[in-house]
Amino acid sequence: MKRILLILLFCQATVFAQDDLLQLLGDDSSYKISSTFKGVKIVNGQTVELVSKGDLLFLIQHRFGTLNSGGYNLYGLDNSQVRFGLDYGVNDCASVGLGRSSFLKTIDANTKIKLVRQSKGEKSSPFSLVWYSSVFFKQSIWSDMQKESYVILDQLSYAHQLLVARKMNSNLSVQLSPTVLHKNLVTKGETHDLLSVGLGARHKLTSRISVNAEYFLQLNEGESINPLSVGVDIETGGHVFQLHLSNSAAMFERAFIHETNGNWFEGDIYFGFNISRVFTLKK
Amino acid sequence: MVRLIISIFFIVLSCGVSAQQYLTKESEISFFSKAPIEDISAVNNKVSAVYDAETKQLVFQLNIADFIFPKPLMQEHFNENYLESDKFPKSSFSGIVGDINENSTVKGTLKIHGVANEVEVTGSLEKMNDSVIINATFVIVLTDYKIKIPRVVMYNIAEEIEVTVKAELKKI
Repeated sequence: MKRILLILLFCQATVFAQDDLLQLLGDDSSYKISSTFKGVKIVNGQTVELVSKGDLLFLIQHRFGTLNSGGYNLYGLDNSQVRFGLDYGVNDCASVGLGRSSFLKTIDANTKIKLVRQSKGEKSSPFSLVWYSSVFFKQSIWSDMQKESYVILDQLSYAHQLLVARKMNSNLSVQLSPTVLHKNLVTKGETHDLLSVGLGARHKLTSRISVNAEYFLQLNEGESINPLSVGVDIETGGHVFQLHLSNSAAMFERAFIHETNGNWFEGDIYFGFNISRVFTLKK
Repeated sequence: MVRLIISIFFIVLSCGVSAQQYLTKESEISFFSKAPIEDISAVNNKVSAVYDAETKQLVFQLNIADFIFPKPLMQEHFNENYLESDKFPKSSFSGIVGDINENSTVKGTLKIHGVANEVEVTGSLEKMNDSVIINATFVIVLTDYKIKIPRVVMYNIAEEIEVTVKAELKKI
C-alpha cells in the first residue's frame, strides 16, 4: 500500500516538477497553409491562389515568337502576343477578373471561388480546392463564315476547372486541374465539349525564386499538341516576374489547352513573361 | 486504506491545481516599424500566456500566421519571406518576473524564427483579485533572429521593430 501511495505521490510530483507552463496552453497548432503558389498563374493555367480581399492585381502576359524562327526575326523577339488582365479580390474566398488577349482578339471574364483551403490542426485538410470559371468572347470576325444564322453567342466559349493543389512541404507545391471547355460554335466534326487534365508544380529555390512547370493532357482526340511550359518566378516586393518557355503562345484556356500547335522537339518554343503588380485598394 | 490513499491523492491534486496560475489565450501582441518608405504594423490577438504566481514564471506563445496586417501582401511576405512560418510556425517567450510593480522586469528566452535569445524586458505586471494584467513595450533587432532583409527593400523595412504586449490573464 505504501508503495502505491508513494508511486501516486511521485506521479504528482513529476507532473508539477515540469515547470514548463507551455503545456498548460495545449498544442493549438491549427493554421492555414498559405502561399501554395506565388502568383495566380503557374504559367498560363490558373493556380489555387486568389487575389486577396480588396486587392487589385494587374497582370501583363507577353509571348514572343518561336525560338526557331531564325536570326532574321531575332529568334522570335520580333513577334509578340499580349494579354492584359485585371483581377480583384471580392472577399476572402472569391475573386473576379477581366482580360484581353491579342490572340484572336479575345476578351475573357472569369471568377475564382475558394472551396477548401489546405490547413493543419483541428480542421485539417490535405489540399486546397478552387473552382475556376471563365467565358471567352472572340472578337475577331469569322471570315469564311458558312453559318447563316451567325449570332454573337457563337463567339463565346467557356472553361471550367476544379483546381486541386497541395503544398507538399515549404518548397514543393503540386496541382491537378481537371478542365472542361465548351465551344458554342464548332466546325463540322468537332465536338462542343473538350476535356483535359492540367498538371502543375512549383519548386522554391530561395524564398523569392521558384521554378514552375505546367502540362495539360487533352482527353479528346485532336490534332493540337498538349501544351508544356516551364518557367521561373522571381518575386520582388509588390511585383512577381515569371519568365518561361512554352510551346503555346496563347494565354487563355480555350487556346492554350486545345489550340496549341508548337512542337517542343522541333523548336517551336515561345519565350514569354508574366508581370503582376498588386494594388491595395481597400484600407 | 485505499480510500485514504485516494483521498490523499485528490488532496494533493487539488493543491496542485490551486497553485496560483493565470492563463489567457487571447492576449494581444502587436509590432510597429517605421521605415523611410513604409510603416509596417501587425496585430496578433490570439496569443496565449500563462503566469505562475508562485514560481513567477511567465510564458507567452503565438502562431506567426496569426499576425494580421493592414495589407494582405505584407502578410504574405511576412510569412513567406521573412518569418518563414512554414518552417517556424511558433514564437514563444519564457521567463521569470522580478519585482511585481509598475516597472517589473522579466528575464527570459525569446524565440523567434527558430532563434532563441536571452532578453530582459521592462513592463508593468498588475495583480488583481482574479487576474493579472501585463503591459510591455520592447524593441527587437531583426538580425538577432536571423531575419534577413534584401538590399532592394532596405528602405521599406526597419531593422528594429517595436513590440507591444497587452495581456489580461485569468486565474485558473
